Amino acid sequence: MDITLDHIMPTPLKSIEHDSDSIWGNHVKLEDGKRILLNASSGKGKTTFLTTAYGLRKDYTGEIRYGDENITDFTPDRWTEIRMNEVSVVFQDLQLFQKLSVGENLLLKNSLTDIYTESELKALLGELEIEHKWDQKCGLLSMGQQQRVAIIRALAQPYTWLIMDEPYSHLDVDNAKRCMNLIHERTIAQNAGFVLTTLGDSHGYKYDQELKL
Amino acid sequence: MLNKLLFKNQDKKQLVIAMIGAFLGIAFLIISIHYLIKVNQFGEGAEILGPNTVIVQKKVSNSNTLGLSRTDFSESEIQKIKDKKYVADVKPVISNNFKVSFETSDPLVPRFRTDVFIQTVDPEFLDVKIPNWSWKEGDEYVPIIMPRDFVVMLNTFMSATDIKQISDDGVMSIKCKFMISNDKREKEYVDCRVVGFTNEVSAMLVPQNFMEYGNSRYSDGTAQKITQIMIQGKEGKFGEVEQLLNARGLESKNSQVVVGRLKSIVGTLVFIVLCISVIAVFVSGLVLIQFMQLLMTRNAVEVRTLMRIGYHPKIIIKKFFFYFLKVFGVVAILGSIAFFITKYFLDETFISGGIYIDTALSIWSFVALLAAYLIFSLASYFSAKKGIFNEY
Repeated sequence: MDITLDHIMPTPLKSIEHDSDSIWGNHVKLEDGKRILLNASSGKGKTTFLTTAYGLRKDYTGEIRYGDENITDFTPDRWTEIRMNEVSVVFQDLQLFQKLSVGENLLLKNSLTDIYTESELKALLGELEIEHKWDQKCGLLSMGQQQRVAIIRALAQPYTWLIMDEPYSHLDVDNAKRCMNLIHERTIAQNAGFVLTTLGDSHGYKYDQELKL
Repeated sequence: MLNKLLFKNQDKKQLVIAMIGAFLGIAFLIISIHYLIKVNQFGEGAEILGPNTVIVQKKVSNSNTLGLSRTDFSESEIQKIKDKKYVADVKPVISNNFKVSFETSDPLVPRFRTDVFIQTVDPEFLDVKIPNWSWKEGDEYVPIIMPRDFVVMLNTFMSATDIKQISDDGVMSIKCKFMISNDKREKEYVDCRVVGFTNEVSAMLVPQNFMEYGNSRYSDGTAQKITQIMIQGKEGKFGEVEQLLNARGLESKNSQVVVGRLKSIVGTLVFIVLCISVIAVFVSGLVLIQFMQLLMTRNAVEVRTLMRIGYHPKIIIKKFFFYFLKVFGVVAILGSIAFFITKYFLDETFISGGIYIDTALSIWSFVALLAAYLIFSLASYFSAKKGIFNEY
């Protein structure tokens, strides 16, 4: 499923001067299965890109299409279908449930599609060296640990696109590498694409396309 | 897990307060509706006239005796009473305008004969439906409702003449007859039989057709005077009917007034409790809905995140909806239990006080409970829907 941004201009960014190669105000196509890097400094609209493309905000002009469908026409049923099976997201603020344990956060998401068993989820935590945190409340984890939980939660569903908003901002090099490998493996296995927003560092990721803001 | 996320670790104080309010409201609602119905039913079927009905006549004073004022009712007087907003209906009591005597005609009992006074009342005023309460020429017998005092008198006569006294059933099986006649020495015998008894009317009651027959064949020709009328008060308005009787110098049998007065007082009190209960249910329902909205506001981030990670709004709406259905279900069950316990003690109290109120359950109490539950369910559903889609 291609994602097309057709002359999108979020209202809060209208007053800002954008480069001619910026995605804002231009026609941009995110092709199915491509690995895309969205590189920009703070305040340029990386999170705005994610929230707009994911249908969380509607204050923009232009048109966003998933395949041939304009996302403004999506019903709650269609958005639910997309968020369950087609597009997964790692939010910059992670949006984990602080009162629930790591295991409960993951099971809550996984229960929508039952893509993993509980032991497989624990194994994924093990790959990121936080398996022992299964019963711990997310609110008690460090930001780096929470970031790893959020990444595993995003992987616990089928997807054709994985959109990640600065997912390694609190990770050291080794942990970022472990996460990258896990994401890479899972994304390849599903013939999916991803969009990685970053503050300038590609974290060694190989990408097919780089977008500018 | 969703329940844990949305409902655990919430401050339950407000919920408990709202539940207590709803419980009290529901309990009082069921109890008051039950007893409002039972109080209104009290006395029904026990007598031949409805419990809100009295037969009245004008008080006889010296001026009546001297012929200075009338004891009969004019058409306009009846109409004026009928026009009162608390009066459901007024009908004249028709009396015989011919001579009537009553006598036994059964070989099993000694002959007993006496002149009597017969009356007929509009069938709409009869509370109990007496089978075969009709008569036409050629019928085997005229059904009659006998004043209980007459049976007492009959038994006194039996006792005085060394004959065994007779029960109600016995009286009903005795063959009797009326002799109807006029001053022109014309007379006719008509068989009759007692089919019921009354404490409310002093005369023998006969079907309207028989009275019309007698009055048309044996009337002395004078215009019939209406000396008694039946007044049917509206439910719970008996106090006003009683005031009317006093104001117009009317009197009735005391027993008729006492029941009506008692019902009116108790009915008014129960109605006030019912109104308070409805308000209490409404207010506590609002508090519960407000608690739901508060819960959704406190969970706004969780609700939003759930929808962002792929939960359908309907799933979350259902969670809130069913949670509050359960809450109100618990309230309804506790309210019903409180009703049964209260009913047990109140019924015992009534019986020990000599008031034999019907103890059967009233379906309307539970219809009211169901209605309250349905209204609350709808309010919960639409509140949950609105609250969740606000976060969408």
